[in-house]
Amino acid sequence: MSAHPRAHADDDEQGRPANHGHHHAPPEDILVRVRALEALLVEKGLVDPAAMDVLIDAYEHRIGPHIGASVVARAWTDPDFKARLLKDANLALEELDVSRLQSEDMIVLENTPEVHHVIVCTLCSCYPWGVLGLPPNWYKSPPYRSRVVREPRKVLQEFGCDVAPETEVRVWDSTAELRYMVLPERPAGTEGMTRHELAALVTRDSMLGVSKVAAPIEAATA
Amino acid sequence: MNGVHDCGGMDGLGPIRRVSNEPVFAHDWERRTFALMLVANANSYWNIDESRHFIERLDAVHYLQSTYYEHWIHSMEAMLIEKGVITQQEVDAKIAAFSAKQGTQQCR
Amino acid sequence: MPVMRPDDVGLMVREGYPLKLDLPIEPRFREGDRVLTRNLNPHHHTRLPRYARAKLGTVVRDHGVYPFPDTNAHGEATPQHVYVVRFTAREIWGNSAAVTDTLCLDLWDDHLDPAPEGR
Repeated sequence: MSAHPRAHADDDEQGRPANHGHHHAPPEDILVRVRALEALLVEKGLVDPAAMDVLIDAYEHRIGPHIGASVVARAWTDPDFKARLLKDANLALEELDVSRLQSEDMIVLENTPEVHHVIVCTLCSCYPWGVLGLPPNWYKSPPYRSRVVREPRKVLQEFGCDVAPETEVRVWDSTAELRYMVLPERPAGTEGMTRHELAALVTRDSMLGVSKVAAPIEAATA
Repeated sequence: MNGVHDCGGMDGLGPIRRVSNEPVFAHDWERRTFALMLVANANSYWNIDESRHFIERLDAVHYLQSTYYEHWIHSMEAMLIEKGVITQQEVDAKIAAFSAKQGTQQCR
Repeated sequence: MPVMRPDDVGLMVREGYPLKLDLPIEPRFREGDRVLTRNLNPHHHTRLPRYARAKLGTVVRDHGVYPFPDTNAHGEATPQHVYVVRFTAREIWGNSAAVTDTLCLDLWDDHLDPAPEGR
C-alpha cells in the first residue's frame, strides 16, 4: 500500500504533518518556555549557561559524520583495525578517541553483497552520536520510524539505494543502550585513494545503511 | 505503554522528508533545549528510561504534531516539576514575566 | 548540588553514561536459542515494540547485563541480560515481506520465553 503522494505535500521540512488553519512552527510559546526554563535553572544555581555553550559548540562544530567517515576509511585501509572494529567496536573506537556520549556501547555492522544492514529506532530516536553527531530530522520522524521496519526495500529505494533481491536486508531497531553504525561497502575504483580521500566519499546516510557509498565518478557527477 | 511513539509498522504518518544540508539545529531554542536537558541533569534527577517515558506520556496528538526538541522541552519541564526541582508556579510566573517583557520577540 | 561547569562538559561527552553492569547474573538464554517474545501490553514503559510481541525469534548475541527499562523507568533497575534477537521479516509482517529479510531487536530476559518445543 502506498500513501497518496500529494496527501502530505505541505508537510513541513521536519516531517510532521501540516496542520491546516493552526500552523505553529515553531510556536511562540515554545520560545518563551525554553527561555523561562533556562532562566529558572540558572537563577537556582543548577545550570551554568557557559557549560551549555560548550556542549552546543561540540555537537554543532566538532562531532559529526566526518568522525564516522574517518572510522570507515580506516577500516577500508587497515584490515587489522577493521577486524577489531567488527569484533569490539568500543575498543577500536577508543583508539580513535571517539566520544562515548550516546555511543557508550557501539556495534559496527558490515554491509556485504550478502547482507545489507539498516539502522532505526522506532520507539524514540537512539542514534550513535559519537560517530555521527546528532540525528537528522528525517531519522527522528515517525514516517521513517514507522516504515523502515515494515517496508525497508521501498524506503531504501526512495533514498536511491538499490539492494539486490537476493541480498538480505537486515533492519536493526535500537531498543536498548547499544548504538549501531554501518560499515558500508567500499566502492570499486577507489583502490589508489588515500584514507583522507576515501573518508570524503563516505556519507552519513551510508553509515545508517539507507544508502551506499558512491564510486568516485558517480560521486563527482551526482 | 501502547502509545503513538511505538509507531513501527504504522501507516498514514506521511512521507519521509529529507533536507539537504540541514543544519544541526534549525532554531536557537533547539540549541538551548538540547544543552539544557544534558547540563541540567548533571544532578541525575532522572535516568534515561524515565526521560523516555515522560516523552511517551505526552498527549498523542501533540506528540505527532510537534518536533523532537519540543518533546524534550515539555518532558524536561514535567520531570523537573515531578522531581521537585522547580514548581509549576515558578514556571508559570517566569513564562508570564518573559511573555510580558518580550511580546513576540524571539529568544536569544 | 553538583553543577556542570564548562570544564566538565568534555568529560561527559568523552565518557558518556555507560549503563552496562558488571554483575554475576546468569543469562536465561544462549546464542542460537529459539525464543518467543511475551505478549506484554503494560500501561507503563516498555522497550518491547508492539510489532514484535508474541513473535518467534532466535538469540544471536548476548550483550551482557543492563538495567531493565520497563522497570527502571519506574524506580527498579532489575538488572538482566540483553540479547540481539533476530526475527524473519515474515514472522513479523506475514507473507508480504521479502523471504530474504530479517529484523534485529535488543531485548531483555523479561521480554522473552523459550519457544515452544520444535518452533
